[in-house]
Formats: sequence, structure tokens, C-alpha cells
Amino acid sequence: MAVEGRSLKDLAVIIRSKNAGPFRVTFDVLFRDRETYRRVCDTGALSRGSVAEAYGVPLASVSSLYEVDMCNAIKLTLVRDVVQGDIGDSDLYGAQQHVPLMDLPIPWSDHAD
Amino acid sequence: MSIAVLTPTGTLGYGYGEEALKRGLTLGPQVIAVDAGSTDPGPYYLGAASALVSRISTKRELRDLIGAGREARIPVIVGSAAGAGSRWHVDWTVDIVREVARELGVRFRLAWIYADIPVERARDAVAAGDVRDFEAAAELAPETVDNCTALVAQMGHEPFIEALENGADVIIAGRACDESTVAAFPIAKGGDKALAIHMGKILECGAFSAEPFAMDVMVGTLNDDHFLLEPGSAERRASATSVAAHSLYERENPFRQYGPGYALDLSGCSFEQTGERRVRVSGSTFEPTEDYWVKLEGVEVCGYRTICIAGVRCPTMTSRIDGLLEDVRAHTLEYFASNDLHITYHVYGRDGVMGGWEPQASIRSHELGLVIDVVADEQELARAACHHASGRLLHMSYDGQYNTSGNLAFPYSPSEIDAGPAYRWSVYHLMRAESPTELFPICYEDV
Repeated sequence: MAVEGRSLKDLAVIIRSKNAGPFRVTFDVLFRDRETYRRVCDTGALSRGSVAEAYGVPLASVSSLYEVDMCNAIKLTLVRDVVQGDIGDSDLYGAQQHVPLMDLPIPWSDHAD
Repeated sequence: MSIAVLTPTGTLGYGYGEEALKRGLTLGPQVIAVDAGSTDPGPYYLGAASALVSRISTKRELRDLIGAGREARIPVIVGSAAGAGSRWHVDWTVDIVREVARELGVRFRLAWIYADIPVERARDAVAAGDVRDFEAAAELAPETVDNCTALVAQMGHEPFIEALENGADVIIAGRACDESTVAAFPIAKGGDKALAIHMGKILECGAFSAEPFAMDVMVGTLNDDHFLLEPGSAERRASATSVAAHSLYERENPFRQYGPGYALDLSGCSFEQTGERRVRVSGSTFEPTEDYWVKLEGVEVCGYRTICIAGVRCPTMTSRIDGLLEDVRAHTLEYFASNDLHITYHVYGRDGVMGGWEPQASIRSHELGLVIDVVADEQELARAACHHASGRLLHMSYDGQYNTSGNLAFPYSPSEIDAGPAYRWSVYHLMRAESPTELFPICYEDV
């Protein structure tokens, strides 16, 4: 049975980033339904390690990752490398940092076992 | 017991639909509450004593809301005035309220609440061990407190309640927890604290929790063991998904959220669709904390900024851009020989948006947008260094160059623009307060 790949953007309905205070950027990935959400969680492909790699940051910069059943969502938060508004900040609201998550590869098979 | 709160928009001044407000008012709200600020727009507004939203837009909306409030004989409550909520911001807003009252020919009791923390108070708190880190990843040093240009604390619902109990019809508050501005009235009327605060967290963003989302009117109704949410506009609806998703917004922990004097637990919440446009939320619980901690927000000047915006179109320059920019930076730093000179480049088309997080390694654009961003301890030095850098970059020669007349396309004259003082967040810590109201003085005026 072939396991194909999908990008996270093929599976999620919302992928967004935003400041959670001046020191962190939080990311929400919302899925259409419980089934898709659970399947993505079960692949383990969206993890602290895969996020750290996608953003080129040390693992310690991934502050947290939550599976949020009540929203069919995965939420993760990164520590900013530049504090919001400080010299060198490139995104005041932290709202345009989501694209590496969109392109995150998720192993996915459409063939039933 | 049923208490309805109308929130016109996510931030005062950002707009709402007229139809939405009219329709929202027919749902019988007992209070109009709106958040006016956030740290999201950055440290500048607090540091420079500057309003986030224009006077024109702020006055226009206050006119609408105070007019509606007086007509329905319900209070109007604004939190985190003018964006940053310092004394200047409160006074600026109160000024507009007085003007609106005169123009509308209405009379009411006005209350305003300050949220400024005197430097001495913060210093004493540091010395007494009453300050702890929140997310700054460092303890607060006394010198940092001394260097603050401005320092405020986020008030909870208690000061608003005190103002309401003293007959306030319009309340303009300084820096406040977003949810407190909305939750105060329901709590004052005996509503469940957990539900009121949770409702406040969702409602303070206006119709961002609706579909389609927008800066628009949202109405929340607090009942004994649940609350209901419904958008003002007939063209939007609240769905269980959109409301639940909003519990994620702008925070790290979706389950446990702290505020002044409490921890809110959302892990047992349920979101149910009741009717086509309304959602019912229940299950939020509240634990008071042993002491009352408030979040301090403070800023310091990090220098004075001058920027230059320029375009690069030639592929021979684009392909060498990293080296050329570094050459100019090194040369400029050496030329001015100052310890307080910072040169940052924002290179749109390379990594302008994501900076160090950008995974895209190669430039694929036909053009680049370049911002040369210089911060120095004096405006004159920032401007001089910025002009020096842009001039050098404009005229430098390099291998492979075809165009020997100029490397940059400036859209403006002058090519350097002084942005004024630049600030940074220097205090983002928790301070123990003796009571929920002792830090937040309230003034009254019968307008």
C-alpha cells in the first residue's frame, strides 16, 4: 500500500500565526473535522521537532504544542528571536509567519487498509 | 438572570457596520463595552504617548456609542484607552468624550481610571521580591524600571465594578485586561465569574469569532450556567467552530488562562450551536489565585530611527545583494565609529517578512524592496548614517555591473525619513498588588 504525502495546507482549513504577547508567536492549525484532525495528530508529523526544523530554530524555541480536541486544532508557539517592535523585528503582529506550516509534509494515504 | 453585552468592534476606532450596530441594539444589551488597545501594535504608542487610532475615527465611534448608550440608558465602557492606556491616553480619550457630550447635548456621570505605575512603586516591589518574570525570560532589574519611559499595569474587572457602583454611565479606563472591560458589568450584576471572563475573552474581539469574521458587532448574553454569542449583523453567524477557534486566538495555552487574581480553566468547555446564528458556551471554571498579580507593561527608548526605502531591479545586483549590503554596513559603522549605531536591512523579495525564520534560500523575484533601517542614540546620527549608507549603496561599483549610473530606485525625496524615537518593551512582568483596586485610581465628573 503506497503512502502518499500531503502538505498540511491540503488538510487544514485555517493555518495562522499571531503574537501571543511581545515575546512569542502562536500558530493555530484548524482542521475541518475530528477525523482529519485525529489522523494528522496520529501521524506525528506536526511535532516540536518538525516545526523547529521548518523554521530553522533550536528545539528549545518551540515553547509548547497542544492538541486541542475542543477545536479540532493543533496549537504551537515559538519564542521570537527578536522581541516584537525591537530593532530588527520584521513582523510587528507576527501575522505572516505561517507559511512553513502550510508546506509541512504529512504522510497520508487515501487507500483504505 | 440574563445579562447581554454588546461589543461594537475588536478595537475602538477600527469600524463596525451601521446595520450591525442597529440590529445589535435591538437585542437588548444592558451595556456597551469595547476594548481600545493592545500590545500588538508595538511599544511606540506607550512610549511616545501617542494614540493608536486617529482622533477622527475615535470621536466618530464614541459619538455613535455614547449616543446609543444614552438613548438606551445603558453604560458605555472603554478599556485600554487610545491603544496603550497610560495617563496621556486616558486624558486624550476623556477630552473627546467631553466634546461628544457637548455636541450631543447629553449629560451623564463620567468615570476614568488610570493604570500608570509610578517608578518608585515598581522599584519597591522589585526590592521586596514582589515582581516576577512573565515571558521576558529575565528578572526585572531596578535600573530597567528607572529607564522606563512609561509603565502601566493591566487592571482586572474590579476597578470597573467600583466605577459602576458609583453610578458611572461612561467609563474610560487605562490599560486593562481585554476580557475585564467586557466582563465587569456582568460580574457586577452577579454573573458567574468564569463564564463572564470567558465570554469577555471572546467578545472583546468583536465579530472575529463569527463567520465571516470581521471588525464588527458581537452580542454576548450571560445566563446562570452558560453564555450565548450572536453577531449583530444579520449577514454573519456564530458557529460552534468559529467560537471555539477563537479561544485559541493570540494566546499560548488554550486550556488555562491567567488574569489578575485568577486562573481560568477552559478544558471542560463545550461549544454548541443553538439556532442558525447563535452559539452556547458552558463549562468554563475559575480559580482565584492566592495573591493578586497584575501584568506590568513598560517601554524604554532604544534610540532614534531613520529609514530609507529603495527598489532594486537589476539582476546583477540582486544576485550579489547580501555581500553588497554587508559591505555598506561595515563601511558605515566604521565611518561613524559609534557604539550606539544599529543598521538593519529589510530585504523584501529575500526575507523581509520572515527574517531569520525564512526557509526560502534563493531569491526568485525580479525586483527587491529594500528598507535601510538605522537606529542611533541621536536622530542626527541616525539620519547621517542612513544617508551615508544609501548613498554608498546607490553609487557603488561591483563586478558584473551594467548600469554605472545608479543602483537604487528611490520613490521619495527626501530619501531618508526620520521615524523619530524607537522604543522597546523592557518590562513585561507580574507584580503583586495589595488589592485589585489600589493601583487604579478613579476620577468622576458629571458631564
